[in-house]
Amino acid sequence: MAGGEGSTGPGSEAMDMTPQDRPSATGFSLDPETFKKIHPMEYHRRFLSQGVRADGRVLTKFRKAKISLGSISTANGSAMVRLGDTTVICGVKAEVTEPKPAAPKSGFIVPNLDLPPLCSPNYRAGPPPELAQTVSEYIDQVIKSCDLVDPETLCIEPGHAVWVLYVDVICLNHGGNVMDAALIALVAALKHTLLPKATFYESESTVRVTEERTVPLMVKQTLIPVTFGVFDGTITLADPTSDEEPHLSTQLTLILDGIGGNDAYGMLKPGGTVINRSALLDMWELAKIRAINVSEALEEAFNAANAI
Amino acid sequence: MSRVEIITPEGLRVDGRRPLELRRVLTRTGVLSQADGSAYIEQGNTKCLAAVYGPREPVKRAGVLHDRANINVEYNVASFSSGERKQKLRRDRRLLEISSMIKQTFETVIITTTFPRSEIDIYLQILQIDGGAVHAAINVATLALIDAGIPMTDYVCACSAGFVNDQPLLDLNYLEESADVPTLTVALLPKSGKITMLGLESRLHVDKLEPVITLAADGCMQMKDTLDEAIRTSTRKLAKTVLN
Repeated sequence: MAGGEGSTGPGSEAMDMTPQDRPSATGFSLDPETFKKIHPMEYHRRFLSQGVRADGRVLTKFRKAKISLGSISTANGSAMVRLGDTTVICGVKAEVTEPKPAAPKSGFIVPNLDLPPLCSPNYRAGPPPELAQTVSEYIDQVIKSCDLVDPETLCIEPGHAVWVLYVDVICLNHGGNVMDAALIALVAALKHTLLPKATFYESESTVRVTEERTVPLMVKQTLIPVTFGVFDGTITLADPTSDEEPHLSTQLTLILDGIGGNDAYGMLKPGGTVINRSALLDMWELAKIRAINVSEALEEAFNAANAI
Repeated sequence: MSRVEIITPEGLRVDGRRPLELRRVLTRTGVLSQADGSAYIEQGNTKCLAAVYGPREPVKRAGVLHDRANINVEYNVASFSSGERKQKLRRDRRLLEISSMIKQTFETVIITTTFPRSEIDIYLQILQIDGGAVHAAINVATLALIDAGIPMTDYVCACSAGFVNDQPLLDLNYLEESADVPTLTVALLPKSGKITMLGLESRLHVDKLEPVITLAADGCMQMKDTLDEAIRTSTRKLAKTVLN
């Protein structure tokens, strides 16, 4: 980010300076925006040394999750989630398919996260960025291993027809911590999904589905992801923004249930610097509170959606 | 669906509109914080989001034009946006065709010579389709470009029109588009009234072409008023925050 802005570098300072950031008699000064681009680490460090972050939050404060359900009427279920500037939209599309011979009763859930170039100036047109692929893969593993939806409830006729749910998450604005927003949206959209009634006709071996969608999907858990960033190897930042993310020494995602229980459904720390165990336990306590807050926001969103 | 049902004997369409009526249009500008300019539009149940980045430095050398800015358009359709889920192909030709059409439409109005060796990216994301995705995309791209402060000679306003039972129809929805109604998409520059883009992909009698184009052009002029109002509202708001 900073490297691309060559014209604001120290060398060209004399050429494009506005009167207010011309060196004063006492010394050289820069306006905050320029300083942020030239010395991003130092910019954040100065905020953090005061116990506050560039966006005004204290270190362990999360951004409020704003959830709205059912905004896409063509999808079987949909949810839009905002964490500060981060905006993702998730749509579930159900289709009938044949099960695998090894598991004749099991349907499928196919999650995918899309980070189109629309969502951030750092992505350009072309193959999906690495983050999109790794997060998609991780989400897929988590929802399979923790049995988010029992695949057998997606069965229409054993050995002949099952539902496949394509769960597509599109990031519209990348303001940091896409993982949390994507998984919250995925869970919310699945919980809001209605399937049509499907009947299998043996004689023609076809499936007919009703026009109306009436059958709610059985979602067993409410998975709540909670992501922390670690700055300079020691400072824990809850819910990092896109300004902070490139400068973090490591990130850690915990996946909890929404009732503040003691079960972890997933944990991911993709390398980076080491963190000590006491820091991990502190994160764990913060994550429990966060998980309850998010599941309350989910609850509210469902009440609001049902009221309409 | 048979043609008879497109307009009821009372002269109403499937969604309750009269033949010459536009759908409800809802617009918003400046919706995304990351983009230099952004806008959102709902035309009936068709929903489209646009983000504009630039003018900025091109990443690829091949994208550099020495006398003007290069315009990139990417038109994307969410897999859950339509009734049937479409398997997304890496390089879907239909999407590429629409992208290139939109790109050429905007090349004529954006004053590209002001920004040589740079790049302007227009990203369009369709979230829900109920007919007229292309013209919604063009309208929202206009809004996003203005929101990004990119100099243009004029708005680009788009609208579609069709013809059924001796009756021209304005702004077709999905049911009408898929019921074999010939659909003509028009984009024009409202100041001069000149047409920049014209798309027809089914049979239409040449005698009917004139009334259909006239109707679509009329729809475009109505869109212009809507877009203009949206821009004026957001600019007023911006002016207020700047002055305070």
